[in-house]
Amino acid sequence: MEELFEKIAHCVEFGKINLASPYPPDMKGQVGADELTKQAIDAGAEPDDVLKKGLVVGMEKIGIKFRDNKVFVPQVLMSAKAMSTAMEHLKPFFESGAVKRKGVFVIGTVAGDLHDIGKNLVSMMVKGSGFEVVDLGTDVNSQKFIEAVKQHPGCFVGLSALLTTTMVNMEKIVTDIKTAIPGTKVLIGGAPVSEDFKEKIHADFYSRDPQGAVDFLKRSVA
Amino acid sequence: MTGRDLIIKAFKLQEVDRIPWAPFVGVHGGKLIGVNAKDYLQSEDLIFNGVSKAIELYNPDGIPVAFDLQMEAEVLGCQLVWSENNPPAVVSHPLLDGKTLNELPIPDKNDGRIKLTLNAARRLRTAHPDVALYGLITGPFTLALHLLGTDIFMKMMENPGEMKQLLYFTTEVGKKMAGYYIEAGCDIIAVVDPMTSQIDPKSFETFVSPCAMDLFKHIRENGALSSFFVCGHAQQNIEAMFGCKPDNISIDENIPLDYVKEVALKKNISFGGNIKLTVVMLMGDKNDVQENALECMDLGGKKGFIIAPGCDMPMDTPIENVQAVTELVHDLYLQDVVRAMEKEQSKLDLLNMKDYGQANKVVVDVITLDSESCAPCQYMVEAVKRVTPHFEGIVEWREHAIKKLEAVTFMSSLMVKNIPTICIDGKIAFVSQIPPKHELIAAIQKRINEKLKLKIKSKKGELLVLGKNEQECQELISNVKRASAELGQQIEVKLITDVNQLATFGITETPAIILAEYKLKSKGTNPSVEIIKEWIKEI
Repeated sequence: MEELFEKIAHCVEFGKINLASPYPPDMKGQVGADELTKQAIDAGAEPDDVLKKGLVVGMEKIGIKFRDNKVFVPQVLMSAKAMSTAMEHLKPFFESGAVKRKGVFVIGTVAGDLHDIGKNLVSMMVKGSGFEVVDLGTDVNSQKFIEAVKQHPGCFVGLSALLTTTMVNMEKIVTDIKTAIPGTKVLIGGAPVSEDFKEKIHADFYSRDPQGAVDFLKRSVA
Repeated sequence: MTGRDLIIKAFKLQEVDRIPWAPFVGVHGGKLIGVNAKDYLQSEDLIFNGVSKAIELYNPDGIPVAFDLQMEAEVLGCQLVWSENNPPAVVSHPLLDGKTLNELPIPDKNDGRIKLTLNAARRLRTAHPDVALYGLITGPFTLALHLLGTDIFMKMMENPGEMKQLLYFTTEVGKKMAGYYIEAGCDIIAVVDPMTSQIDPKSFETFVSPCAMDLFKHIRENGALSSFFVCGHAQQNIEAMFGCKPDNISIDENIPLDYVKEVALKKNISFGGNIKLTVVMLMGDKNDVQENALECMDLGGKKGFIIAPGCDMPMDTPIENVQAVTELVHDLYLQDVVRAMEKEQSKLDLLNMKDYGQANKVVVDVITLDSESCAPCQYMVEAVKRVTPHFEGIVEWREHAIKKLEAVTFMSSLMVKNIPTICIDGKIAFVSQIPPKHELIAAIQKRINEKLKLKIKSKKGELLVLGKNEQECQELISNVKRASAELGQQIEVKLITDVNQLATFGITETPAIILAEYKLKSKGTNPSVEIIKEWIKEI
């Protein structure tokens, strides 16, 4: 079984979705994360093991490569697609409670900003590390964030911004969330954002890459 | 030489006397004339007025007509959401919504906002013949992303053939747009392709390089210069970008300038950019901007480098921050000042100046770059020199030329930020402007009066009466007591009759009087040696 988990991790890492997918070229004609996950479940593997020893391992590997500039957005998207296709087979076990999430991560691009590539990447990576992700989309105001936090007590919140004009809105949103639900941990990210800016607006964490956010979340629930 | 000539020279890698300056004014032009981004980008008149205002305020060598990467997309059917203080955002992608590539027309010069932008370009050309005009077009990859959305990334992997067709189309659009701008009088066509920062070098070379190379060749053949704008974290692709053979590459703070310079000069291609957009231009102050700009200028050098912000300046960038670059670019003295200040400032151990200025004399410090080489500094020093004789020795002045480290320390300790500055007893009195004689005299006089008042208030001392025995001094002591009573001052009187002590004062004839004055110089601090020396000089 361990060997199968390794294969699943490998497929996720290299973005091999299923048999039909032509990518990556050197795995053409082989089965992908989709088939292998089904195979593992059918063979009686613990769904939790499939997730933690297979899918999550693959996502973490691609996350680290992305952080180190060894791969870029297209490769990560392929991995994420492989992951989410495989996750379909695990869905029933999540619903029944056989597999537990590490925590909930609420994410959105802040009010005034319609960019979502960065937010989507973070969302996929966090999902890939075993968290439940609640994606509020783009142009999200304080009120929507606060409602989501109330629905998911103890969740983490991620704010994304691509514009210099909207990063300014982050400050208000961070303050609003922390006033409404003290103790909520807020992570920020996006092209114009920096560690200095994080300090300035009293957010809890900044990372220039998704993997940083994943590591922070894992540390926080460990 | 006009600014336009200077830019062209830099593009051609010829040595220049002064580094050319190209503020990337986009919707910031709207701020300059008090209109929002939405109105601004939809009006020929407003663009013309905004850019003209920017030319007036920022004295640039080159400037874009408009910084709007949504113009072509809009014509091709992408829906836009407008914003008050940003360029619009693309929110729908026709190829994702069921359109096919064959249904998309190559935009005509009269379509959508292309027409008004080109008209603005023509008018700017006529009105400002000496400024190099940049016509900005959406790069092939970014335009493809507008048309297909983020699916484009997976399309590259899953269906490279279709992806190439799409890029072929967007490149044809780019060529047309370049042609329109050249016809309207633009000197430089800037291909702005920020989304390429999201892909790896191999994908860049496979998909983007052939298009970009074709586009730059087309621009060259039509007699204009070209620039490749990165905007984003694209260091991995820089080599490949130079390989596309543009005449220039413009980068932002995500990519180190020294690295780009090295690659650029090796490939014989000019380069530019790099003033930090957000933390410096938008959120910093004048000093931050000048420090950062100078760092770029010193790194970039006078061959093939154009100083510019990393990308489109945020709308609300403070005008004085942009002007700070203009000032720096045109003022060699200022460059020296900023350089000298920057050099050691971060490592300085600041002096404790709390007790500075407590000496009897009034001390006037003139902080300069060097009065011999900097004209304003020279005048400042002369102004002080002329005035001090009026005070007949009670005013002392010194020059601190910050080319020396100790002067930089002194300057920072007094929290002086500008050159030249006059401080009176450690307090900043005149900054940059040379004070008229009477003002300077008045300022010094004011300080003298303050000190005098303080002195009267804080006077304390004792009278030592020296004699062989108490009897001998009795009369003298009663005289002293009467005198102090008549003056209404408390004074301690001490009688000394010990022979050894008399000897230490060198007294042979008695009775004698010694007046000892005590003055509080500092409390609760450890004044530096420099400061204590000033006090000792009073003895």
